[in-house]
Amino acid sequence: MKVSTKSRISFPGGTHPADKKDLSAGKEIQQGPEVTEVAVMLCQHIGAICQPLVRKGNSVEAGQKIGDCDAFVSAPVHSPITGKVKEVALRSHPVLGRSMAIVIEALAHSPTKRPYFNLQDDFDVNKYSAGQICEAVREAGIVGMGGAGFPTRVKIEPNPRLPKDALIINGCECEPYITCDYRIMLEWTNKIIAGIKLAQKASGCSRVFIAIEDNKPKAIEVMKTALKIVPNCGHIQVVPVRTKYPQGGERQLIKAVLKKNVPTGGIPPMIGVVVLNVATTAAIAEAVISDLPLTHRVVTVSGEAIAKPGNYYVPIGMSVEDLIEFCGGVTQKSAKVLLGGPMMGIAIADLKTPLTKASNAVTVLTKEQIGRAKFARRQTACIRCGRCLEVCPENLNPTKIAHAVKHNLLDVAEQYYMSACIECGCCSYICPANIEITGHIKTGKIFIARQKKKVPG
Amino acid sequence: MLTDIRVSCSPHISKHLSTRSVMIDVIIALAPAMLAAGYYFRAHALLLIGTCVISCVAAEWLCNVICKKPNSLGDFSAVVTGIILALSLPPKLPIWTAVIGGVVSIAIGKMVFGGLGANIFNPAMVGRTFLTASFGVMMTTWAVPYTMDLNMSKIAPENISASNLREFRTQATPLAWSKLAIKNELGADIYSEEQFKATFTGEVGGSLGETSVIALLIGGIYLLIRRTISFHIPLAVITSAFIFATIVYLRDSYTYVPPLFHLSSGGLMLCAFFIATDPVTAPLTRRGMWIFGIGIGAITMLIRIAGVYQEGVMFSVLLMNAVTPLIDKLCRRIPTGGKPGA
Repeated sequence: MKVSTKSRISFPGGTHPADKKDLSAGKEIQQGPEVTEVAVMLCQHIGAICQPLVRKGNSVEAGQKIGDCDAFVSAPVHSPITGKVKEVALRSHPVLGRSMAIVIEALAHSPTKRPYFNLQDDFDVNKYSAGQICEAVREAGIVGMGGAGFPTRVKIEPNPRLPKDALIINGCECEPYITCDYRIMLEWTNKIIAGIKLAQKASGCSRVFIAIEDNKPKAIEVMKTALKIVPNCGHIQVVPVRTKYPQGGERQLIKAVLKKNVPTGGIPPMIGVVVLNVATTAAIAEAVISDLPLTHRVVTVSGEAIAKPGNYYVPIGMSVEDLIEFCGGVTQKSAKVLLGGPMMGIAIADLKTPLTKASNAVTVLTKEQIGRAKFARRQTACIRCGRCLEVCPENLNPTKIAHAVKHNLLDVAEQYYMSACIECGCCSYICPANIEITGHIKTGKIFIARQKKKVPG
Repeated sequence: MLTDIRVSCSPHISKHLSTRSVMIDVIIALAPAMLAAGYYFRAHALLLIGTCVISCVAAEWLCNVICKKPNSLGDFSAVVTGIILALSLPPKLPIWTAVIGGVVSIAIGKMVFGGLGANIFNPAMVGRTFLTASFGVMMTTWAVPYTMDLNMSKIAPENISASNLREFRTQATPLAWSKLAIKNELGADIYSEEQFKATFTGEVGGSLGETSVIALLIGGIYLLIRRTISFHIPLAVITSAFIFATIVYLRDSYTYVPPLFHLSSGGLMLCAFFIATDPVTAPLTRRGMWIFGIGIGAITMLIRIAGVYQEGVMFSVLLMNAVTPLIDKLCRRIPTGGKPGA
C-alpha cells in the first residue's frame, strides 16, 4: 500500500539542508567492536555532576553503578564493561572541555558487547506502577538521547503543580547524516512502543504522538503497522511532520504537533508536554523491563570521509578514535570530526574523546566540505538581507544579537532576547555574508552566564 | 590517516550563498530595465549605464586604497549602485555629470559610513539628490524616445492641448505633463488609453530606467521568485501610493491624476522593487518593512501632489532611510515563546 506521507505540519522558519542520510540509512544496526578501555564521563547530562562510587583499582561489573548524585536533576552513570578501574581522571569532554571520567580497563577475554534486548511477548504495562517506572528510569541513568541529555526521570515524573497532558515521541531526526533513530524505529519498533506505554503510564499523559519527518516514509509505515498489531495502542498517533531543520527541536516539534508555544526560557512541562526521543523510549523499555542501565547506545557513524558508514551499537565511554577505526578509518588526511550532526554537532580536537549518552552520531566531513564551510570562506559585512530573521525558528533577530555581542553590548543583545536562542545554526547556515551568527550568540550567552555567576574572566 | 583535524563552531555546513550572488541576482533583475533603456534611448543610455558603473567601481576602489581597507569590489554592490543610479538619470545627461553622480554615490553615500552594510542612505539616491541639487536644469531635461518621430515639433508647455499630447509627452515626464495639463485646464480627458499604454511600455519621457513599467515588473517578479527581496516593501509602497492617490482623486478628479497613472509613471515602480528594497537601508522586520513601505508611498504622493517637485521617490526614500534605525528599534521581534518571564 502506498501511503502519501507528504506533510505540511511544521513550525515557522527553518532551513532545508541536504539530508545526506543515504550514506547510512540502509545499514542495519550492527554490534560495535570489542573494546579494551572505556572512559565513562561523570557528567553526561544536564544537571549536577555525579560523584564517583569506585576508586582506582576497584573491579567493576558490566552494568554496575559507578557514579551518582543526590541532586534531583541528575542521572547516575554505569560501567558498560566488566573490568578494573584504571583511573579517575580528566578526559576531553565534547561540551565541557576537560571533565572527570572513570577510566575502566576491560578484563581480558571478557565480552564488552551487549546483546540486543529482546522484548518478551508477555510484556504488560499494568505490571508496573508509575513510581516503579520513574525509579527504574532514574536508576538506569536514562537521559535524553537526542543530543541535549536532559535526565528523563525529571521529565516524566508527575508533578502535581504541572499536570502532563501530551507525550510526543521525537522521531524527526532533522540533522543531516544521522540515521540511528531511523534504524531504531525500523528494527526496535516494539521496544519503542513498550517504552512509550511505560513513559505514558509514568507521566500520566492522555495523548501520545509519534512525530516522524516525512523524508522517512518507511519508518512512518512501520510504526503505523506496528501500532495496529500491538494491543492497546489505539490512542497512539503517528504524526508525519514536514522535513525541515530544526523540526526535531523540542520547542519546534511541540509547535508543529500541538500548535502550542513553550514559554521563552521555559520547558515543555510548563504547558503539560513531555517530549522523548525514540532512542530514549527504547532505553526506558530496557531499563524497566529487565533492569538494564543505559550503558550502550546506537551511534551513527557517517560523513563523506568515513570508509564504512553505518549504525553501530557501542558502549558509552568508547573513544571516538576506536569507533572510527572500526569503521575503516578516515579516508582523508584532513577532516573535521563531529560529535552529532553538521548543524549542531561539536567539532572535536581530541579523537580520544569518549562517547556520551547523548552522542547520537559521529560525522566526519571532508576537506572540501570544510572548505565550503564558514570559517574557510571570507566573511563580508552584514547587508541586513534579513535571511537570518526569516529562518529563525524562534522568531529572533539573529543579526542584531550577533552585532551586539561582537561589540560587547550584552545589554543590547538581551534586549533582542538573546537567551531565547536555541543555537540551531540556521542563521549561520543561510548567511550570505558568511557571518558566524550562531557562534557570536553562543559567545554572548557564555558572557552572560559568567556575569551572572560573577566568575571573573 | 587523519593528521589534520579541523575545529570550528557549529554549524559546519552552509548554504551556497554569498553577498555577490545576491548582488548578481539584482543585476539580472535590472537587465530588462536596462534593455528597455537601450531600446528607447539607444547608445547614450548604454553609455550612461556604463559610465555610472565604472565610476562607482572606480570610486570604491579608490576609497579602499585611500583608507587602506581590503578590496571590496568582489561583492558587486558598487555595480548595482551604478546601474540604479544610471537608471534614475535623464537620458540626455552629459557623461561627466554621471561620473560625478557615481563618485558621490559611492564616496559620500557609502564609503564614508564604512562601506557596504554601514551606509544609512541608499547610495544611488544620495548621488541622484546631489546631481538634482547641483545641476537642476540638466536633471530635468528629458529626451524623445528613439522609437518616436524625432523631428516632432517642440511645443511650448503653454500650448499643450489634447491634440498634441503625443508630441508633448516626449518632452517631459508623464507627471510633468499631467501637471501642466491640469494647469491648462485640460482635465481628465488627457488620460486616454494610449497615454496609459505609453507609460507601461516606456514610450514616454523620463529617466532611463523608470519609463518601462513592464521591464521593471519582470525584474521585480524575478527578485520575488528568487526570494532576494520579500514582497512586503513593494506591496506596501504600491498600495499606500495607490490609496493615497485614490483618496485625492475621488475628492477632486479634475485637479488630480488617476491613481493608476501615478503608479505607472515616475520612478515609483523602480523604487518599489529596486530602491526601497535595498536591504542595507531598509528595516529588518516584517512590521518594519510595512511601515517603511507605507511611509515611502505616502511621502512620494505627498510630494507629487502638494510639493514643488513632480517626482517624489528620491526624497521619500531618503527620508524613510533616515528613520529606518528607529523603525527597527520600535518593531523588535518578540520570540515565539513570548517575552521571557511573561
